[in-house]
Amino acid sequence: MRAFDYASPPTADLALKALAGGTDTVVMAGGTDLMNRMKDDVTSPGRVVHIAGIKTLAGIDAETIGAATTLATLVASKVIKDKYPALWQAASEVGAVQLRNMATVGGNLLQRPRCWYYRTGNGLLAMKDGKSLVRAGDNRYHSIFMTEGDALFVAPSSLAVALIALGAKATILGADGKERTVAIEELYSIPKAEGESELTVGKGEILTKVILPKTVGKSASYEAREKESYDWPLAIASAHVVLEGGKVKVARIVLGSVAPIPFRSEAAEASLIGKALTPETATAAAAAAVKSAKPLSGNAYKVKLAEVAVKRALLAAVGQIYWEV
Amino acid sequence: MAASWPENPRLITTRITRLDGMAKASGKAKYPSDMRPEGTLFGVMLYSSLPHATVKSIDTSAAEKMPGVKAVVVIVKEGATLRYQGDDIAAVAAETEEQARDAVRAIKIVYEALPHAVTEAQAMAADAPVVVKGGNVKKGRASTTLEKGTETIDAAFAKAESVIEGTYSVPVITHVCLETHGLTAMWDGPDKIVAWASTQAVQGTANELAGRFQIPVSNVTVLTDVMGGGFGSKFGADIWGLTAAELSKKAGKPVKMFLDRIQEHLAGGNRPSATGKIKLGAKKDGTLVALAAETFGTGGVSRGAQFPLPYVYSIPNTTREHADVFVNGGNARAMRAPGHPEGCIIMEAAMDDLADKLGVDPLEMRIKNLAPKDFRTEIYLEEIAIGAELIGWKAKRKPRGKNGNGPIKTGYGMALHQWGGAGARDKQVTCTINPDGSVELRSATQDIGTGARTVLAIIAAEVLGLQPTDITSNIGNSTFVPGQASGGSTTTPSMAPPALNAVTQAMEAMFAKIAPAVGGAAADLSLKDGKLLVKGEAKMSWKDACRKLGMTSITETGKFTDGLSAGGVAGVQFVEVTVDIETGKVRLKKIVAVQDSGLIINRMAWDSQVSGGVIGGLNYGLFEERVMDPTTGQMLNADMELYKIAGASDMPEIIVHALDTPAMRARGVIGIGEPPTIGTAAAIGNAVTNAIGVRVTQWPMSPKNVLDALASASNQGKA
Repeated sequence: MRAFDYASPPTADLALKALAGGTDTVVMAGGTDLMNRMKDDVTSPGRVVHIAGIKTLAGIDAETIGAATTLATLVASKVIKDKYPALWQAASEVGAVQLRNMATVGGNLLQRPRCWYYRTGNGLLAMKDGKSLVRAGDNRYHSIFMTEGDALFVAPSSLAVALIALGAKATILGADGKERTVAIEELYSIPKAEGESELTVGKGEILTKVILPKTVGKSASYEAREKESYDWPLAIASAHVVLEGGKVKVARIVLGSVAPIPFRSEAAEASLIGKALTPETATAAAAAAVKSAKPLSGNAYKVKLAEVAVKRALLAAVGQIYWEV
Repeated sequence: MAASWPENPRLITTRITRLDGMAKASGKAKYPSDMRPEGTLFGVMLYSSLPHATVKSIDTSAAEKMPGVKAVVVIVKEGATLRYQGDDIAAVAAETEEQARDAVRAIKIVYEALPHAVTEAQAMAADAPVVVKGGNVKKGRASTTLEKGTETIDAAFAKAESVIEGTYSVPVITHVCLETHGLTAMWDGPDKIVAWASTQAVQGTANELAGRFQIPVSNVTVLTDVMGGGFGSKFGADIWGLTAAELSKKAGKPVKMFLDRIQEHLAGGNRPSATGKIKLGAKKDGTLVALAAETFGTGGVSRGAQFPLPYVYSIPNTTREHADVFVNGGNARAMRAPGHPEGCIIMEAAMDDLADKLGVDPLEMRIKNLAPKDFRTEIYLEEIAIGAELIGWKAKRKPRGKNGNGPIKTGYGMALHQWGGAGARDKQVTCTINPDGSVELRSATQDIGTGARTVLAIIAAEVLGLQPTDITSNIGNSTFVPGQASGGSTTTPSMAPPALNAVTQAMEAMFAKIAPAVGGAAADLSLKDGKLLVKGEAKMSWKDACRKLGMTSITETGKFTDGLSAGGVAGVQFVEVTVDIETGKVRLKKIVAVQDSGLIINRMAWDSQVSGGVIGGLNYGLFEERVMDPTTGQMLNADMELYKIAGASDMPEIIVHALDTPAMRARGVIGIGEPPTIGTAAAIGNAVTNAIGVRVTQWPMSPKNVLDALASASNQGKA
């Protein structure tokens, strides 16, 4: 870790000023990702603006979740658990208890990829001499969708997957002090060149809150991972369905840890419209979801995991859990 | 007359809390990495970022001028070759850790990169770059044993009625000591060193420091009160420890040097990989006829990767050819039962595959092939019967792939293992009985987490009619009488005999001295419940008896005598798993470890050792793997996030069963550190295979390896 300036402003306005005043500034909320990147010399900011002390950014108020709300607080919310189970399930499996006590909703959405090439100092796209280290190397945890380009890391946020499925929005406080609200999926874009970020929230800006829709259908998330304790998803899916007369009227199906951005599967959604949600239709939707998968040399197994995650998220949403003994 | 273990012990064999348990649990215990004597500087190593390179130049001038920097040491000469990522180059000592890290970054190295091979596949390729002169692959001569009348191994296989062929692989894993390697060195004048070292061998470390600085070893004091794990990887000062002492000498201040987590993975040691291409043949009834094995593995840039095979079982005809493969990776070091987990995995996987093909119960097949003249056979039979009962083998286990509805399949597996664990014969313990009633034991051994300190106190308390808390058990100091280095499960069997002798001699010397004052002959005196007895009658308290010593303490040195310890253990483990065949996720349900180790001194610490061994083993079974990048030659998971280790939620029910019988007790003390970690990963692999009906040939049993095995079998029309 290198020396840096540190500010811990009490208000969002002061935070904007602190961000504007330094060079190469970064926002820190829980610090569970940033601090590790700083220790590993992956990120070496000139100034860290710590926003955990800004009271207006924390807490849950009806459908609005402050960006500095900890995941522990989110998981403790009965409203979230009952009304937005996809979000609750995704949040409850993040890291471990100690992490959820520190990590925040905003930080989870804006954490950087866990790609081991990126984390060992090879850059986000991990290109060397014009060739992808990921393609030539160990890509067991990398993308299986959108693999035509150079960005082969996976978007790490579990919350983003659930929030996109639920149709949530995010509010960003711009450097000019003005707020703007965007769909969660708009927080992400695929970098085309080294130096570009996969996050659209700009320097000097602060993600302030997440807004969930007032009315939602049934939802669930399913995560496949290696360990039960602290670990990352190998694949995660969130499903959100609105049923009418026993038939699917609206479906939103999103996959995580499988592409450089949260991956919404319109093919899977389309396959369900107008049909009852049954093991058969869920299986067909899951197959449709992975039809466009193009795995790398060492991660074909993730196609199976993505498929199963979609099927199980859909069936969990309607209470048809068949895989627990 | 040499002492013997009591026939009806009061303390030995019971469950006794560790003397330093509360200090460890509450954080009061000071580990070597906690030691910061006044003025301590922080040492940081600079190590190679490249897997293979020549150092063209090193420029430390900028680093030396940086704030807080007090000393810089260059380890390699210009022109030297760095052979793996993590190879040492230089080191800095500064007033703060941050200053030292900044200064290390300011050292300018010009490298000339050389081609590298970091995986076995790269190193074994036809056009592989040269890792070591003399070849990347060092193939040993085939070793063949044939029974009388059988001319060739092929002729032996011709007699087999069923043969399987399989290739099984275990990756390189690292030790992941919670406390990284290192020491804090402090010079006391020009020719004396005190070092607080995280080591398994205080005396070995002292010898190394003395040799490096050409000072008498009596001028070096290495202290290890407690330490955070070594598992075979911490037997010396190492280059970083010697460098810490050199920095300290240069700066005139103590220097604390502990590896960061990355270098700990890269250079702190690892367990070699192992691959075995196996052909195993048997008669219809499961009697083994022949084994042919081609094996290889890598132990890094210059260490071998041997492991025992055949393992445990008696096979009349065997042939084996082994190759050590050298890669640009940190060197292997001894790791908890070196070679055995690998040999066990490969042997036991093949045993199960053959039993499945024959349609015989793999438990029965194992029994059938135990070595007829080995003393362990009787022990195995007893342990297998107990373990089978505890796991429910007969009632619950089904043939491969036939257990479970829906995607969740249940499986059972087992494995047998063995170890030595006999003590060294040249170690000593001193016992001092003071007039104030205090009792102190001393020896230059150390407690690497096994409870060695408490073991010695229990022995003294047993003999003297006291409680273990009444005894000061002073170890972890290299200046004491010679004690055992903690490796090979030898600490307790080496140290318990001299401890018993020292305490018994001290007691006898005390009796001789105080007998006239307490009104009896020395032979009339005994000790019980904190009291001195004369002719069986309580006369006075222990403390009052000690006062009769007058002004002079009694100190006796005990040595090893025969009959108090032994070597050679068996052991069996059974595992119950569920496997979700849609996600490849293995859940451990239950692990049963049935283990013998002679006379158990402290059953609580023993249970903890066996549990700890199983937990280590389940990590090899499910999670651990060092991942190297072929292009950059870097280790990709040199952390504790993507280098995966079980947490509390991954733990199954673990049933530890001690084969604690009169016959076992009569053998004397045998070490227990190693054996219980050997069989776990093998039994897990067999349980997974039993559950899903398909052999997973690549450890660990991760979703990837399980799903890949299922997909491969499905493509071949096998599942």
